[in-house]
Amino acid sequence: MADQNYFEDVAVGQKLPPLTIAPDKQQLVKFAAGSGDFNPLHFDENFPMLKPMGLSENIVHGRFKYAQVGRAVFAFAGYKGRVQRFGVSYRGMDPLNKEITVNGVVTAKRQEGGEHIVELDVWTENADGQKTTPGTAVVVLPSRE
Amino acid sequence: MGEQVYFEDVREGEEIPQLKKNCSTQQLVLWAAGSGDFYQIHYDKDFAQRTGLKGLIVHGALKNAFLGQLLHDWVGEQGQIRRFGCSYRGMDEPDQDILCRGIVTKKRSEDGRHYVELDVWTENPDGKKTSPGTAIVTLPSRA
Amino acid sequence: MPDTETKFEITDEMRAQYGVDSAPWTYEVTTTSVRMYARGIGSDDPIHYDVEFAKAQGFRSIVAPLGYIGTPVYLPGKNDPTFGFPRREGGPRLNIPFRGLLDGGTETEYFDYICAGDVLAETSHLADLKYRETGRPMLFVTNESVYTNVATGKVVVKQRLTSIHM
Repeated sequence: MADQNYFEDVAVGQKLPPLTIAPDKQQLVKFAAGSGDFNPLHFDENFPMLKPMGLSENIVHGRFKYAQVGRAVFAFAGYKGRVQRFGVSYRGMDPLNKEITVNGVVTAKRQEGGEHIVELDVWTENADGQKTTPGTAVVVLPSRE
Repeated sequence: MGEQVYFEDVREGEEIPQLKKNCSTQQLVLWAAGSGDFYQIHYDKDFAQRTGLKGLIVHGALKNAFLGQLLHDWVGEQGQIRRFGCSYRGMDEPDQDILCRGIVTKKRSEDGRHYVELDVWTENPDGKKTSPGTAIVTLPSRA
Repeated sequence: MPDTETKFEITDEMRAQYGVDSAPWTYEVTTTSVRMYARGIGSDDPIHYDVEFAKAQGFRSIVAPLGYIGTPVYLPGKNDPTFGFPRREGGPRLNIPFRGLLDGGTETEYFDYICAGDVLAETSHLADLKYRETGRPMLFVTNESVYTNVATGKVVVKQRLTSIHM
């Protein structure tokens, strides 16, 4: 786990350390196990829905990408911080075995009701640099005061 | 679940009701989830073929579990499975029938309990015994 | 494309479904399920695996990774066998004529941590309907689920899920 971020240490415009994952079929099967989503779209290369969707290979669960954004936001908040909300839209499909990178940037800092709040833009990018899952997050960070 | 079977109703040499299974690839992934065995030969065809297999195969432990289900269905709520096991001699594939069968080999009463021993096995569509095994159960008595 | 010949539009009858709550369903958060979800997303943060470590950080038990809000109790015949979600009484009834379905987006709001040992009661209701006719017609349906910790009675998570029908 990285060092704990404190409110005073983060700056608007600051980038989050990128988080990269290239899920193979085993990873997607483990995600099916963890999430309960056993849609064969994600692990069966003979699944009849692939062709009508214009796909030549299995794709990553949207919620898997959401969870990767979640990992990055959770790491930014640290054990002493708290994630208030995070959300994404699913704009593009990602095939398995390809690199997906989570990037983020601090967009605002404010204090509200005694809490120190940081807002972020977060998203996943495919290997071509396209944003497939754009989103935002709001995090409460501890203060050094 | 049918009616409870009693020790007196059972004859040596008798076959117990069969259980037919047919695993989709989704079923194999569900088993990976339930068992924690994520070995790729059960859902990743490329991986399976790289290890020298023709294609995906059914987990041995899943076939063992099917035999457990065969026995569980037969002994009923008042019966108990004491022990069962099998060897994984032949491979079974997804999307293919797996027939679970059992034959009573012995009946005995001992220390107030009524034991039934069985041969159990899974069979592929060619009639080959892919997972031969044995079981010992206890059944209630009408006495 | 819509199956019906008539033009689709959002009706007052559909809008009347906003906020109509489904019957509750129980979601369970266990040490085993938290660990499996964490493995599923490729995280090796000990906060999701090691109970003693999590307690030393001040948590009740291991913490659910973000995005995991427990596993719905599964009853054969009551839950969808592929996706696991419960089919239940109450909640919105929409007759959507479109056959295509895509996941539009997910947003989760947290009022507390989710930890192993939590038992949650979830209800869901229709939160929003948007119909976009420019280009390929698409119906955006947003459902909101509210999760309450059964032991404390407090709302711990609200999640909004958007699906795109076309």
